[in-house]
Amino acid sequence: MKQGILTLSELTKFIELLKTSYKVFAPVKKEEGVFFEEVNSADDIALGYYNSKLPPKRLFLPQCEVLCTFENGQLVEIPIADEKCAIFGMRPCDALALSRIDMVFDKEDLKDPYYLARRKNTVLLSLVCDKPLDTCFCTSVGGGPSSGDGSDIRMVHLGNRLLLEALTEKGESLISSAKQFLKKPKQSDLEEKEKIVAESEKKVPRIKVDGIKENLEKGFNLPLWSAIAERCLGCGVCTYLCPTCYCFDITDEVKGEKGKRIRTWDSCQYPLFTLHASGHNPRPSKTERMRQRIMHKFFYAVENFGRTFCVGCGRCVRSCPVNLDLRESIELITGNKACVSTRK
Amino acid sequence: MEGIETKIRETAKALFSEKKIDILIGHEKGSLVFHSRPVMIRDANDTERLVWNSFCTNNLAVYLPRFFEPKKPKKGEVPPPLPRVAVIAKGCDARSIIGLVRERQVPRQNLIIIGVPCEGMIDKSKLEKLLEGDFIASGSIKDGGTSITGFSGKRLDIKKEQVLLDACIECAFPVVEDADIAIAGTSRKPATEKYKTAKSFSEKSPAERWRYFAQEISKCIRCYACRQVCPNCYCKECFVEQTNPRWVSAGDDLSEKMVFHIGRVFHQAGRCVECDACVRACPVGIDIRTFTQKVAQDVKEMFDYCPGFSPEVSPPLCAYRLDDRQEFITEP
Amino acid sequence: MENPYIPYPVTIEEITIENEARDLKTFKLVFDRKEDEEKFRYLPGQFAELSLFGKGESPIGIASSPTEKGFLLFTVKRAGLVTSELHSSETGRKIGVRGPLGKPFPWERMEGHNIVIVGGGFAFTTLRSAITYILHPQNRPKFGKLMTIYGARTPGELLYKKDLEIWSKDDRIELHVTVDKATEGWKGREGLVPNIVKEVSPSPKNAIALVCGPPIMIRFTIPVLLNLGFAEDDIILSLEMRMKCGIGKCGRCNIGARYVCVDGPVFTYKELEGLPAEY
Repeated sequence: MKQGILTLSELTKFIELLKTSYKVFAPVKKEEGVFFEEVNSADDIALGYYNSKLPPKRLFLPQCEVLCTFENGQLVEIPIADEKCAIFGMRPCDALALSRIDMVFDKEDLKDPYYLARRKNTVLLSLVCDKPLDTCFCTSVGGGPSSGDGSDIRMVHLGNRLLLEALTEKGESLISSAKQFLKKPKQSDLEEKEKIVAESEKKVPRIKVDGIKENLEKGFNLPLWSAIAERCLGCGVCTYLCPTCYCFDITDEVKGEKGKRIRTWDSCQYPLFTLHASGHNPRPSKTERMRQRIMHKFFYAVENFGRTFCVGCGRCVRSCPVNLDLRESIELITGNKACVSTRK
Repeated sequence: MEGIETKIRETAKALFSEKKIDILIGHEKGSLVFHSRPVMIRDANDTERLVWNSFCTNNLAVYLPRFFEPKKPKKGEVPPPLPRVAVIAKGCDARSIIGLVRERQVPRQNLIIIGVPCEGMIDKSKLEKLLEGDFIASGSIKDGGTSITGFSGKRLDIKKEQVLLDACIECAFPVVEDADIAIAGTSRKPATEKYKTAKSFSEKSPAERWRYFAQEISKCIRCYACRQVCPNCYCKECFVEQTNPRWVSAGDDLSEKMVFHIGRVFHQAGRCVECDACVRACPVGIDIRTFTQKVAQDVKEMFDYCPGFSPEVSPPLCAYRLDDRQEFITEP
Repeated sequence: MENPYIPYPVTIEEITIENEARDLKTFKLVFDRKEDEEKFRYLPGQFAELSLFGKGESPIGIASSPTEKGFLLFTVKRAGLVTSELHSSETGRKIGVRGPLGKPFPWERMEGHNIVIVGGGFAFTTLRSAITYILHPQNRPKFGKLMTIYGARTPGELLYKKDLEIWSKDDRIELHVTVDKATEGWKGREGLVPNIVKEVSPSPKNAIALVCGPPIMIRFTIPVLLNLGFAEDDIILSLEMRMKCGIGKCGRCNIGARYVCVDGPVFTYKELEGLPAEY
């Protein structure tokens, strides 16, 4: 079964059914904002949310992950997580971000077993975005409010019901297993979905991103980088909140004779990121580190994977303590206005 | 507010034309609704970018140490002269600046502190809470009131006083005492009830306090934004990142996160001016204010000391007096 | 799926102090499990992450050649947390080896060419691997003339003194050893590596140069080679970067769009010229 209509009155039973086979994560409203957490029932779900504060990538790439443990100098391999999870209600930009991270972690000869196990064991039900914010720009970077990349089922909120569409085999089998709660979609449902998507796409602000790769290729040594980075404090919030950022650190933590090797989130915005043991640092100041971030997302990733590693979710724009706006930086580069140290 | 903005621009323009400064750090209009952001001005023509409004929350003192980092000159060359920097300062910013002067991170003679009268800054998160999770699509301010419209279309009219930052509501020192240039205008009155947040926290039982601390700190994702925005955190190598010895692990054990935060708050004892830059920077909304203010209150009560004034006076945790209490060492 | 984050268990069988300053040691490692040794198929130029449980990992170039069976050699300089721990280890200690990682020297392309090897200081480790590999009777016929120019600061700082002794008597390799500053009793050449390269003047005809050394040596050797007529594509370098995962995932070792741990550490001079100068 490839499509289905789930009335919101049946949502509780649907979630209960999911919970029999999966750990269910959904957007939950808290005082500080919306976060993806495990839910016990449909009542916990904030269906009408904009987007979560932290990207749901942490469900696949946790802030701290144990790679292996050791005892008395001997390595002990640990079982890779194989819990089945369902993520209900992720926005298409965040799902698209996962398909970007897949490109790095699922390379032919070097696969990351921890991340891939979680991806394999998770079914993703994304929720089409009908409320873009003024900081969104997904349509300018290869995404959109109804993008299906990275998700297994695409849901659209139509008033008192949800339209579910399977995009993968995994999604299909989930929909089939829930068919007792689903009705066949009517033509009017499908038309309403198209209307919502079209309106949403119109609302998403657009930024001038044409030619960004070529301009970046030529612009490595432009003085505008120090202007862009001038008020940056190197706090790293942009990278931690970014759904496509995946850089990590590996450290060993010891307690007596036992210990563990852990992988933790790291950021190219920190000076220690590239510091050699000799004391040499290829990226010694904020200017180089800011340039690396933008280059990586809009040039190096395109060169290596053919895709921009930015999905236009706008979290970095909204959360930067000094209002460093990635969109402004991009337009400075595509507009190629030569900069003096106080930019026009 | 407009009067103050005009005066700031005029002052800045004059300082440049009289060649008294090389750089001026102030606020400019941000790219989002109700945002102002730091700006570095180097030319009289750019002074028109300076703004002054209820969203100039950033503590600009954080930018100062980088202008005065010692630079090793090439062989035979004379080191370049240190820049002359002017800073737009609210009461809290100025106390941070004096703190940096006291800790020898910034030479006072190279600074021009432009003291601005502050009536308090608006807390955007309080506005968003009133919109019940909606974001601010548009807004305007007039006559002590704020009108905001959320993306859902919901519109609210609120009194400015209702949505000020806690740091401003409880601010004890809104007037800049050591300004080189004082912009005329009315400031907030100092708060009558000091350390309100800390007092209500102190009234809880130790078990309740620990539970609250654990609850807040468990949200931490170790981004270190709190540390980076803090003007006092200028250490080249933070204790949390030292590898030899490794004091704190990078993992997400609650105890490790607690050690980082306890360490940071105690490193701020006698130095923190409660500007709340850390609170605003935190992406997960940790209530850092309760803990920093508690330590600040303790320092005031035990040592009768408040940081941000008199750069020649050593803060209590950097000074040793012969009559310092020590019974807790000898009679635990 | 093989987990690329898990090292093979190995034991330190022998430790050799290589230099006078005693901060360079060669570790002879033996695999605990025969099947791991079989899986660890490498070529000279590659590196591996040496894993010290409790301290971390360190990316070190492989100094042994795949023609030397039964063990791996790594020459390590004591610099930070992990290498200090390694230096204070004794034989019999069990550690881990993760690899082989990175791209080796371009062996297929090098066949049929004359090889000019230029090494300085303790970057000579993977070059030892290359020389030993070329000199192996099965491989030697595949290559033309083999010339090596190797220099260190002082005679005491020269690595692999026993190997240098053997190679100096081997007429299948033209070996020039030099020191920046001679000490009493030193009978060899004295002079900085770039100058010795100029003196010896290797012919660029059908030749490929492998250059490994500290940044300053590389900076001055490249112009000498270019002046002699070597093509930018025929000068091969090996870079160093801060690494953690070694498999192109943690994001820290990139130069432009290339990751030193998977696209390198071996690059041609021409490739490097096309990358941003951020290393």
